[in-house]
Amino acid sequence: MEKVCVLGAGSTKYGKLDDSITDITIQASVGAIESAGIDPKEIQAGYISNVFGVADKQVHLGPVVMSNLGIPEKPSLSIESACGSGSVSFREAFANVAAGFYDAVLVAGTEKVTHTGTEWTTTYFSYCSDFFYEGGAGASFPGLFASMARAYLTEFKATEEDLAMVAVKNHENGLLNPKAHLRKKITVDDVMKSAVVASPLKLYDCCPFSDGASAVILCSEKFAKEHSKNYVNVIGSGRGGSPATLQGRDHMTTIPSTKLAAQAAYKMAGITPKDIDFAEVHDCFTIAEVVDTEDLGFFEKGKGVQAVREGRTSKNGDVAINPSGGLKAKGHPIGATGVGQVVEVFEQLTGKAGERTVNDAKIGLTHNFGATGASCAVHIFQSV
Amino acid sequence: MKQEFIDAVKSGKVLTKKCTKCGHLHLATVYFCQNCGAKGFENKILEGTGTVATYTIITVPPAGFEKYTPYAWVVMKIDGYELRISGFLGGIGSPAQLPVGAKIKITGYDDRGILLEKQ
Repeated sequence: MEKVCVLGAGSTKYGKLDDSITDITIQASVGAIESAGIDPKEIQAGYISNVFGVADKQVHLGPVVMSNLGIPEKPSLSIESACGSGSVSFREAFANVAAGFYDAVLVAGTEKVTHTGTEWTTTYFSYCSDFFYEGGAGASFPGLFASMARAYLTEFKATEEDLAMVAVKNHENGLLNPKAHLRKKITVDDVMKSAVVASPLKLYDCCPFSDGASAVILCSEKFAKEHSKNYVNVIGSGRGGSPATLQGRDHMTTIPSTKLAAQAAYKMAGITPKDIDFAEVHDCFTIAEVVDTEDLGFFEKGKGVQAVREGRTSKNGDVAINPSGGLKAKGHPIGATGVGQVVEVFEQLTGKAGERTVNDAKIGLTHNFGATGASCAVHIFQSV
Repeated sequence: MKQEFIDAVKSGKVLTKKCTKCGHLHLATVYFCQNCGAKGFENKILEGTGTVATYTIITVPPAGFEKYTPYAWVVMKIDGYELRISGFLGGIGSPAQLPVGAKIKITGYDDRGILLEKQ
């Protein structure tokens, strides 16, 4: 297996964007190409992750993006795995470079949905659940995670205020990120007083609906060494699945696919959770970050909230969680999110994270899932 | 197979598939046993009664559910079995009305999916 590296990264701002889905995808891709310092013609394939291109009248994005990059002859494909599309696409690109099929590829994730409004975005997103049992019975995504939160608050010593602290921390991190969707300091009181969306989750427990695109150049170690000194090694890659429904799971306070993906990634990297300096995890809702940090092995089951209370997940804590601001504050353009996490890790490990820099960080992890964790990918990165 | 399952729900029952090889029980929308991979099943009809395993009360609904808001979406543990089924439970406005463990039952199926009510 070839060693695989991230050679460059680019991203649009996340938020409500005016440009089309095609334009933002190209902007992020150009950013990644310029960051990598390569000629676009050196790219051998394109991996595009997107969920609701149909909402902005463009599916089959690959050839459109490749044509605009001046490489229409290069193969491309689109990958959809709900909110996990970006990391799942990254994994497929990783596997192809590791297998030696390609020396350098473009991985771009993108989403443009805010123009459809809250009701339709809520409705579109509900199509990512097992619709017969969940979306079709009125379960929104906040509702599904609220059901996990209810189970967590019932089973463990945790309160709604504890969950609110996750939002407060991620908003603090997001303040330092010029590309974040929500750049606003908030307090536990603000979260508790915000409107209930799906009890026990309130507006500030939820990530925003965002538009945005992120892209990276993934390549073999040989290709990386020939082009730059500023690259990052991908040392672990893992995937896993969970029952598509919450009803299909024995426990509703854990996400089986996260555990499977993490175990595989740690094994490939030959490290343990203790070796991770920082992680970008899938905090679509505050409860998700708590569950993630436990399932990834950073804290014991039920102890995730205590870690937040003690500041162990803050930027200068034991393991910095979501220094970018996470989905919660940086934003969640669902097809882009998993790639955007890699952009953050690349910037952190190549000295480009500015004020967000996690001190002495050498190893970073990304964790991104689709729906309520029905599909998941975990990747581990190390600085050169 | 889904229509058969829906017909059972309409009469307040849950159609399940019991694996003839290992005995593992599933909701009747599965084609291979999740436990042993076998394809042979026998039908087993369960009473659609149970308790609230977890739930949420939705105040920002997806399209089509506006006129029912607020309502609960509930995961119900089926009485006597380690099996759960989820659905729509209307007329709930506050968590105090629906504690975890409360007794509920299946009452029907319509454009809101599987319908549940408090017992």
